[in-house]
Amino acid sequence: MTENQVKILDGNTFVVSDERGDIEASLTDPTGLFSFDTRFLSRWVLTVDGQLLSPLSVDDLQYFETRFFLVPGTGTVYVDAKLSVIRHRSVANGFHEELTVLNHDDKPVEVTVRLEAGCDFADLFEVKDAVDKKGLYSTRLDDRRLVLTYRRETFSRSTVISSSQPCALDEHGLTFQLQLGPHGSWKTGLDVVPEMLEATEDGDTEPSLAWQARRPRTNMARNLERWLDQAPRLECDWEPLKTTYRRSLVDLAALRFSPISAGRHSLPAAGLPWFMTMFGRDSILTSLQALPFNQELAATTLRELALRQGTRIDDFRDEDPGRILHEMRYGELTAFEERPHSPYYGSADATPLFVVLLDEYERWTGDTRLVRELEFEARAALRWIDEYADLQGNGYIAYQRRHQETGLENQCWKDSWDSISYHDGTLPGFPRATCELQGYAYDAKLRGARLARLVWHDPAFAEALERQAADLKRRFNRDFWVEDGEYFAIALDADGGQVDSLTSNNGHLLWSGIVDKAKAKAVARHLMGERLFSGWGVRTLAVGEGRYNPIGYHVGTIWPFDNSFIAWGLRRYGFKEEAAQVAAGILEAAEFFDGRLPEAFGGYPRSMTKYPVQYPTACSPQAWSTGAPLLLLATMLGLEPVGEHLLVDPAVSRAIGRLELLDIPGRWGRVDAFARGRVDTSAPARGRPGR
Amino acid sequence: MSDDVVEFFEELGRRGHEPLLAKVTGRVRFELVDGGGTTDRWLVAVDKGDTVVSHQGGPAACTIQAERALFERLCRGEENAMAAVLRGALVCTGDVELLFAIQRIFPGPPRERPAMPGAEGSR
Repeated sequence: MTENQVKILDGNTFVVSDERGDIEASLTDPTGLFSFDTRFLSRWVLTVDGQLLSPLSVDDLQYFETRFFLVPGTGTVYVDAKLSVIRHRSVANGFHEELTVLNHDDKPVEVTVRLEAGCDFADLFEVKDAVDKKGLYSTRLDDRRLVLTYRRETFSRSTVISSSQPCALDEHGLTFQLQLGPHGSWKTGLDVVPEMLEATEDGDTEPSLAWQARRPRTNMARNLERWLDQAPRLECDWEPLKTTYRRSLVDLAALRFSPISAGRHSLPAAGLPWFMTMFGRDSILTSLQALPFNQELAATTLRELALRQGTRIDDFRDEDPGRILHEMRYGELTAFEERPHSPYYGSADATPLFVVLLDEYERWTGDTRLVRELEFEARAALRWIDEYADLQGNGYIAYQRRHQETGLENQCWKDSWDSISYHDGTLPGFPRATCELQGYAYDAKLRGARLARLVWHDPAFAEALERQAADLKRRFNRDFWVEDGEYFAIALDADGGQVDSLTSNNGHLLWSGIVDKAKAKAVARHLMGERLFSGWGVRTLAVGEGRYNPIGYHVGTIWPFDNSFIAWGLRRYGFKEEAAQVAAGILEAAEFFDGRLPEAFGGYPRSMTKYPVQYPTACSPQAWSTGAPLLLLATMLGLEPVGEHLLVDPAVSRAIGRLELLDIPGRWGRVDAFARGRVDTSAPARGRPGR
Repeated sequence: MSDDVVEFFEELGRRGHEPLLAKVTGRVRFELVDGGGTTDRWLVAVDKGDTVVSHQGGPAACTIQAERALFERLCRGEENAMAAVLRGALVCTGDVELLFAIQRIFPGPPRERPAMPGAEGSR
């Protein structure tokens, strides 16, 4: 992968090219035009008189369009630019490219412009793993279109390439013979359009999948403008925060994704470029982060996840009745059941979080209609917790994959292989009951009870849920509490023993409310203590644990999304200053990334590196990192819906100064929140209880 | 005529009300194509979960077409409907939301091996 990739996208359609706008992908190289998890163009190389071009500049206009300024010739030799070329590319149905050739000479000139085109139709999963294709390729020239097709049994995917200006077509591309007058110019419009499946044999009906994939695009520039207009306005003394806020809003717009069946509604996909699809966990958590700013994302997330809720037992897909999906894909490997993503259900947290989001959404919007509409699914999700997730038989949610080759080993947000470890660094067996899952289950039961009473008019169910929640909380505080360390173990192992490392998961427990009041102070002290808090944020795993590594994916790095929920949790228990400190640290880190927080950054002490060290990752922007500044803003302002009103109770770092969030949408219409930074975050807060 | 398919539809008809389809109102036509080119049609009319099945054609908001052999496997839980749609082996035309809803009623795969600890949810 090269450093200077240019990416544009709309939903799950995206183009990754080099700085010339060219695509020369090998099977394992992640460039090309992708749509619905399939590469629809792997070769797209522009030459003028047989020469490649050199980039003068790249203009990233919007997330969905870019402009390349080029001159013929490459290498170190200075090019005598009598000609220049502009490629203006935007994602549409596939992409559209306006190709302009300019003659800067006062003499006429003849040039040959050629575009080489080809496609390997790789499944996104294959791009990562280099799997051999099992189907057949074909190429067809018809009229003014070059059609590339891949077929395997009934599976077919095609790419249709056309030009608005006449050209000579061959199986490998398009050739234009141009005659440009003095200072003349020439222009053509090129369209590269992906096609899913083919029309049925009678020819008059087209599979829904095909036309759903080709939904008309709205005016994207206007759409983005409207999106930004509808978001609350941020005013503050600290300029970088404004940059971060705007970056977050634009990136969140870019990450919107409309699954087939959602019509024009969209939900947050997980991340660009490899995760532009629906993920239960990521879509839910990002919708939660964004609730004070946009509520349609949550509504669509809830509806679409409900539509695909598990209904049967399927070991290949880790599906159970009531379970909320983990990940959904549309590519060849999924279609042939070589991968389980149609959808795959291997997530132990998405199901309780689904209920949490439904309740939080109602608290912000008052939309009881959706709560009524999703009653069946919410009840099924709550039932899943008790009937299908208790793999250890002890009343806790636990996970263990049911398909060894394709299932996910860790079905919680820390999903890498070594993320769950004992203090001495060894790994527990399966099933594993991680602690934050119990917090989510507790919260889901209480929130489910509220909805049962308020909307479903079932007080008996509400009481049962509340009884279960109280019992869960009591047992949890007994079984997960590491006595001598005064924190909660990250998990219980298969024998019910504590997996006793100190982790950021403790912050999620505060957010869920499962922590006994008497234990909260010790938990907050750990979160803000030197072993977990780096100065920028809370580490995933504490310094001193066997597997601690400041650049280990889930064993020492700092995740902005994680921290946003930790800050929310600290506030829930009254630790306002600590929450303000976490918020300030993460938002100050954002400044080093021009407002776009990475998925994770290094856990080195802030005093040592002075700047946050980015964890190398292929995924940026990532949805829940994009959502982190939003939730941190809401947390600092202490935004809390209470009945028909929005409570504002700010605790803001002095370094941020004046902070105003105007036109916050909700059941109250629109309201403003004002704050002045009074919390001194220069010296670390140390788990002092709220005042 | 395959017993699995007939049994599936007749059983669905006998249920009268299917909670998994409680939000659904609409008609889905299933077209099962034989090797010989003949088509066997079933019409499932759903009204907020109340389900009436008839062994005939008729207008429908959503049509689901497949080879009979594939459909037999679907009725036995040996085939995943959504994967088959992506593959083009199960072709849906019309209202795709009806497809998402109706695929819920197909059974899960038969479980051959003894359940692993992680599969105890089946109890």
